Amino acid sequence: MARLIRTEKEVEGRYEEVWIVVDEDALDRWPAGPLTTVGQRVPRVDGLARARGQALFTADLQLPGMLHTAVLRSPYARARVISIDLEPARSAFGVRAVIGPADLDQLTDEPGYVGHAVAAVAADTFGQAQAAAERIVVEWDVLEPLLDADEAVRQESFVSDVANYERGDFERGLGGADVVVEAEYRTQVVVHNSLETHQAVCHWEDDGITIYISTQYIWGIRASMADHLGLPPDKVRVICHAMGGGFGAKNSPGDYTPIAAELAKRTARPVRCALTRREENVAAGNRNATIQRLTAAATTDGTLVALGGDFVNAVGYSGWSATTEGPMKMLYACDNVRTTQYPAKLNLPPMAAFRAPGFVEGTFGLECLLDELAVKLGIDPLELRRMNYADSDRTDDRPFSSKNLAECYRRAEPHWAKRDEVRARSRGPWKHGIGLASQIWYGGGGPPSYAWIRVGSDGRAQVVTAMQDIGTGTRTAMAQIAAEELGIPLDHVQVSLGDSARGPFASISAGSSTVPSMGPAVRSAAADAKRQIIEIAAQRFHLEERVLDLRDGQIVSTDGGSWPLTEVTGLLESGQILGQGARGPNPAGMQVLTFGVQVAEVAVDVETGEVRVDKIVAIHDVGRVINALGAESQVEGGIIQGIGHTLSEERIDDPATGSILSRTLDAYRMPTIADVPEIVSELVDIPDEHLTNLGSKGLGEPPIIPVAAAIANAIRDATGAEIRSLPITREEMLRALREAEAREKERRGAAAAV
Amino acid sequence: MELLRPSSPEEATGALGNGSRALAGGTELVPLIRDGLVKADTLVEIRDVVPRGVTGTRIGAGTTLAELELDGEIPQALREACAQAASPQLRSMGTIGGNLLQATRCWYWRLGFDCWLHGGETCFARDGAQREHAVFGNDKCASAHPSDIAAALLALGATLRTTRREFAVAELYRLPTDDDRNVTTLAPDELILEIELTTPDASTYLKAMDRRKWSFPIVGVAAARFGGETRIALAGVAPIPWLLDSVAILDEATPLPGTGYKVEIARALVRRAIEAI
Ligand SMILES: Cc1cc2nc3c(=O)[nH]c(=O)nc-3n(C[C@H](O)[C@H](O)[C@H](O)COP(=O)(O)OP(=O)(O)OC[C@H]3O[C@@H](n4cnc5c(N)ncnc54)[C@H](O)[C@@H]3O)c2cc1C
Ligand code: SF4
Repeated sequence: MARLIRTEKEVEGRYEEVWIVVDEDALDRWPAGPLTTVGQRVPRVDGLARARGQALFTADLQLPGMLHTAVLRSPYARARVISIDLEPARSAFGVRAVIGPADLDQLTDEPGYVGHAVAAVAADTFGQAQAAAERIVVEWDVLEPLLDADEAVRQESFVSDVANYERGDFERGLGGADVVVEAEYRTQVVVHNSLETHQAVCHWEDDGITIYISTQYIWGIRASMADHLGLPPDKVRVICHAMGGGFGAKNSPGDYTPIAAELAKRTARPVRCALTRREENVAAGNRNATIQRLTAAATTDGTLVALGGDFVNAVGYSGWSATTEGPMKMLYACDNVRTTQYPAKLNLPPMAAFRAPGFVEGTFGLECLLDELAVKLGIDPLELRRMNYADSDRTDDRPFSSKNLAECYRRAEPHWAKRDEVRARSRGPWKHGIGLASQIWYGGGGPPSYAWIRVGSDGRAQVVTAMQDIGTGTRTAMAQIAAEELGIPLDHVQVSLGDSARGPFASISAGSSTVPSMGPAVRSAAADAKRQIIEIAAQRFHLEERVLDLRDGQIVSTDGGSWPLTEVTGLLESGQILGQGARGPNPAGMQVLTFGVQVAEVAVDVETGEVRVDKIVAIHDVGRVINALGAESQVEGGIIQGIGHTLSEERIDDPATGSILSRTLDAYRMPTIADVPEIVSELVDIPDEHLTNLGSKGLGEPPIIPVAAAIANAIRDATGAEIRSLPITREEMLRALREAEAREKERRGAAAAV
Repeated sequence: MELLRPSSPEEATGALGNGSRALAGGTELVPLIRDGLVKADTLVEIRDVVPRGVTGTRIGAGTTLAELELDGEIPQALREACAQAASPQLRSMGTIGGNLLQATRCWYWRLGFDCWLHGGETCFARDGAQREHAVFGNDKCASAHPSDIAAALLALGATLRTTRREFAVAELYRLPTDDDRNVTTLAPDELILEIELTTPDASTYLKAMDRRKWSFPIVGVAAARFGGETRIALAGVAPIPWLLDSVAILDEATPLPGTGYKVEIARALVRRAIEAI
């Protein structure tokens, strides 16, 4: 029965209260552990097509008569357009349409960051569009930009309200502490740099529009573009078959989709608007920089008695302020916690969600600080974490739907126990060490999400839902779930997705929500189809439904009978069995979170500041694992991206003008395959018994979260140096080493004086 | 734009100058043209004109870095410098001649800021983003020369043969001045044909990078020993490849606030390079 409930909806750590209609989710739970298909190591169903170049990305699309767009973007971080002359562009060769600030909301005459879109040109070729855009004449009034986040806080330049939080009494907790550590941590701006740049192709047909777009949220694009264009949503068809990476930056239409839609309308042609690699490095969103001024206090027995922090999020010109303070509030059972988060508005390109926004940054600060505390207390870092284990969500005293972090810690022990062995590898300037960090994050997904399934007379099934596979292997996971429930081989299931006109509403693929939101809907659709098949089989074989089941492509009965599935479905000829499923509600009154721990082994050349990550062991608790192989690849991807964030990636801004200096991939340094360490991934495959018919949580984000802190803590273990800022470049490493030397000298001096 | 394919050095040099440029592998020139940093209406492809391959101690300027990194006969410093430069794809296209003539990676320069080296008044790096910049010879332009190979050739005491002259590789480079902002002494219609090496008793190249591969040198150190004499040259520390007359010169470095760490790295790598040979 459909039920109307009021519930909290969470995406990327942001909450909203919403009304939703949910269907009951009354299926039996599958037993824990690997099943016939679910939980096995399954290669991607579309792997071969991708490897052969046959998968159709938005970037591959060529429509007849399609035009190409170049966007004129502001070269100034803060300026006013005094005058703009589009005519020289209009008269340029190959140009079909030119639009400026007067024509579209997404084009501005008061840019607030370098890269803010000002005008756009559609031409027969991209080269012509670019040449024409260069001919646009703009007279600028260049204004002084605000670029410093602390200065923005002083001026109260914010994108939203300052967020204050306190539980218990921070000051009192601090007063009762034996040991206090304080430190300032900084994290840099990193850019998603998806292989497929942000892009859309818009095509008006009849009275509606078709939007081909590289997106993480087909239905979000449909809703916001319908709103933008003043169309009924069903007049907006959104298509995304394969996608070359998003990492959080492709949840919305951006500026490029409205630009393409407008130019397509004016020219009555399909129009592509695709960001160049350089635009991608400037105007496609980023993980914003943070400054974290943190305090941790404990009694000598290791009990955390106070945690506090001022968190400055350098959000940029617009965007939202991620919960950088989240880990401090949620990870440990500390009674007295006080945080303030400042969402600084700056004349820098706006942030966009980036794989666990806020928690990646906040975990770096908190987990480094905790290790500094462990050193001061003389307590083993793993022990300290166990001593302050949270048994419930202390922000609102809700129980966890499931939490197996203790099991993660237990499995980390053998790796952690190698500390002396790893340290003993030190030779000459190369010092070896080992460090760990915990992970906490959301990832429970939620309703609404729907799936249909159709089973034909050949006994094969097609899952139909208008979701997207953002490259994470969703198609494969959904096929596994349907195959498991229907008891048919994996290759008898096809998944049709990627088109809002073909299938029901599906969840956003962000916040690690795809599998936990969509998986249960697919299982429930398959169960609906299975129920019908069994009903028919019962009539066909004159048996009771309750003695029948589907297994290995057979209809089986408890008394040992077995018939090929096609013996029943074959009766249908062209008929089909249609199943329908919906995502049930999240467990009421419970907090659904993911957990984990990572152990890093590093080596540091103390003379040149080179940091080499030798190994990362990642142990995560995300409930039931659907595809063991796919999960491993998510862990590896998260860790590799985390290594970039930790060691080499950094957007370089000009401190005077706010111009972005790192616009190409030789200046913006992502890790190469040579930078990838040995990665051991282990998943605590225990279904969450309160969460949906699957007990699965999401895994897209968790693996990137503890990487930086685990590496920084290993560096401390190896060298005694306190890393305070990301990325850990040579200069940061050498600075930290010299500071540690000075500290050591001072300590020895003090000791000698005594 | 026109593409010429001359078949003799004379024909090629005749076509050069006046807005035309020599094209070797194109890995540097093509991006510069695309970004509007080099204006050229004619490209003169020099593939059939400039020698390619190694004969004894002579290296054709058209030899690719990929060919050199696999050559067991050339001194180790050069082989290592080639192997650690750029990426496999770039090394397959990029020639040693083109590598010596690559422009700075200074982001201000590459983005077309009207900076001193571009003929303007100010060096924006001096008060700007400067972690990749110079620690020597940086009073006018603080850019860091990106060529690993040039540092190796400098330490190896190589000489160049061009269509006009023969000279030490050190003389290919000059610090830019107010009157002449060029960093090389090559005439617009002059082609490098060959590089002549002297064979050291031992040599090596050590490179500090921001990641393990495919990264310009933060600091590159080439060292070559000829009998009792050791020659050391650095990449990534000055607007041109920098010969280090003695290790003590490192004490005279003039780093910017953001580049002091390079001196520290150079010290360690120079010591290691000397120990290694
Ligand atoms: C992303 C990237 C990373 C890189 N990393 C490194 C690195 O780590 N270390 C390093 O040392 N280099 C690095 N390089 C530089 C690379 O090695 C050079 O681009 C390449 O060697 C240039 O050779 P080319 O044949 O492609 O030159 P071209 O692009 O064809 O020419 C470059 C210049 O030299 C001139 N020229 C070429 N040959 C001659 C000749 N025989 N006589 C006269 N003039 C000539 C051209 O007119 C042009 O001005 C990198 C380059 C890129 C793009
Ligand atoms: S370092 Fe040289 S190239 Fe860079 S901004 Fe200064 S003058 Fe220009």
